[in-house]
Amino acid sequence: MTKFCAILYDTLLEVRDRKIFYLYWAVTLILVLVFLLLPDFKINNVNLFENADVGSELIRKAYAAFFDGFYGFMIFLMVFGAAGLMPSYLGKGRIELALSKPIDRCRLAVMKFAAVYLIMIALLAATTIIIYLVLSIRLGSFTGYFFLGLLLAFVQFFAVYAIVFFLGVASNSSALSIMGYFIIRVGSDLLSGREVVYRFLEGSIWKTILDGLYHILPKIGEMASNYVPLMEGQGLDKTYPVYSTVGISIVLFLVAILIFNRRDY
Amino acid sequence: MADGKVVIETAGLSKRFWGGFRGKDVHALVDVSLGVASGEIFGLLGPNGAGKTTMVKILLGSLRPSSGSASISGHECRTRLARQKVGFLPENHRFPPYLTGIQMLYVYGGMAGLSRKQINAKAGPLLEMVGMSRWRKTRIKKYSKGMMQRLGLAQALLNDPDILFLDEPTDGVDPIGRHEIRNILLELKRQGKTIFLNSHLLAEVESVCDRVAILDKGKLIKTGPVIGLTAAKPGYTIETHSLSEETAHKIAAAFPQVQVTGNVVHATFDDARQVNDLIDFLRSNQVDLISVAPIKVSLEDSFMQLIRGNEAGD
Repeated sequence: MTKFCAILYDTLLEVRDRKIFYLYWAVTLILVLVFLLLPDFKINNVNLFENADVGSELIRKAYAAFFDGFYGFMIFLMVFGAAGLMPSYLGKGRIELALSKPIDRCRLAVMKFAAVYLIMIALLAATTIIIYLVLSIRLGSFTGYFFLGLLLAFVQFFAVYAIVFFLGVASNSSALSIMGYFIIRVGSDLLSGREVVYRFLEGSIWKTILDGLYHILPKIGEMASNYVPLMEGQGLDKTYPVYSTVGISIVLFLVAILIFNRRDY
Repeated sequence: MADGKVVIETAGLSKRFWGGFRGKDVHALVDVSLGVASGEIFGLLGPNGAGKTTMVKILLGSLRPSSGSASISGHECRTRLARQKVGFLPENHRFPPYLTGIQMLYVYGGMAGLSRKQINAKAGPLLEMVGMSRWRKTRIKKYSKGMMQRLGLAQALLNDPDILFLDEPTDGVDPIGRHEIRNILLELKRQGKTIFLNSHLLAEVESVCDRVAILDKGKLIKTGPVIGLTAAKPGYTIETHSLSEETAHKIAAAFPQVQVTGNVVHATFDDARQVNDLIDFLRSNQVDLISVAPIKVSLEDSFMQLIRGNEAGD
């Protein structure tokens, strides 16, 4: 535990140095100010700020609409915030010292992953709670459904960071890991609409290839489409993208550890 | 711990780096076998690219050997147990610039398994010893190279290691700092620590090391005590007031191993007593002596000779 705390402390100070904290607080502050200064918040022509007695379904819709976009934006920021942390840790002159400590390589990689993940989700949770409190005070209604969205955001960020972590370990480059992540993200989003592409392609081989690619790529975008139904209390709309993405991410994470364990530094 | 037991051992250690699809593979280490006894200061010498850092990296688990084996305290070098009581100051380190001196000790001390309380207890005296107390709360990004070396040394000593690996520890350190580091190393040796020192600075190695190994192009070309490498036939330089050509011929005839250059006589003898015979001979020929000085063979001389010999052998 001492060793993990040391890695967590190091990561926390690096995150602070990279101004990631400030970015989060800036986004939070802007949103807080927007909600405090916003004269009305209309859904279906009902101003929620002036109609505290509106039905809870409408409030849920309001939360779902807001937090759907909010989580998407925050995870986008988290990718940029977290992508450079592993490649910088693997930098020449730094990793040798870490590897000289009495920690197995596998444990070192797992601890570094966990440290980055915990710090990022803690930041997300803190900003979410602050915004939730301000929004709830203005709406005059405190509903806990958004927490389901936060849980999905944690799972989604696990998948996202596992991809970024894998790319970071494999390439030793934060730029390549960010680019690689967005290529995968865009690719999987395009593949989710592959039915349209089939109309223009002849032969079943293309269908097999595109289907195969769809199944082996993490489906971050489709996973995110569950935020609204989940926060509206309808549960997960599409379960396959969630389970398959988590499964693929675990595989990528394990491959990253294998690479880290075998590579010369 | 200074019981003479071998604590660092390599057997047939080789490391080959892949040179890419078109390039040639680089043989950084070729069949290196050596042992370092507990309590000694062992110096690893060699020109740039000789394989010194590769050797240390293999011992500390950063690199995998292509063949052969390496162990520390009897444990295979890639295992956690091998690094349990080891301190390391890497060459060309890039300590996290966002940390302060004390934060760096918290991070790397913690990774070595020390609690915050233990680190607090040790950090003060260690920073004092390396002359960094004043800078403990300053960010590393503001440190000079020498300050980073000093902090790196404190970091390496934090877990009270039995074995210390120092890769160019005085790189960038001023002469006073070098002297201080040398004294620290000698004090650590007195405490029974084993020190594995990589350095280009041969005078430094000569002044602190008990034994050295010389690597060249990945091959071990010499291992032995420093005294053994610097010991040579006794040599002297005798400066005279004036030396006629006739006297010079007489000297050359009587002492074939002597060279005369102007007014200076250079002599290398099998036996130190022979210098007295030479002095008597010169005095009997009315040669006025100005000085008699012994010629010292430095580690650098031996090193250069060995490296040139190895190059000629290739």
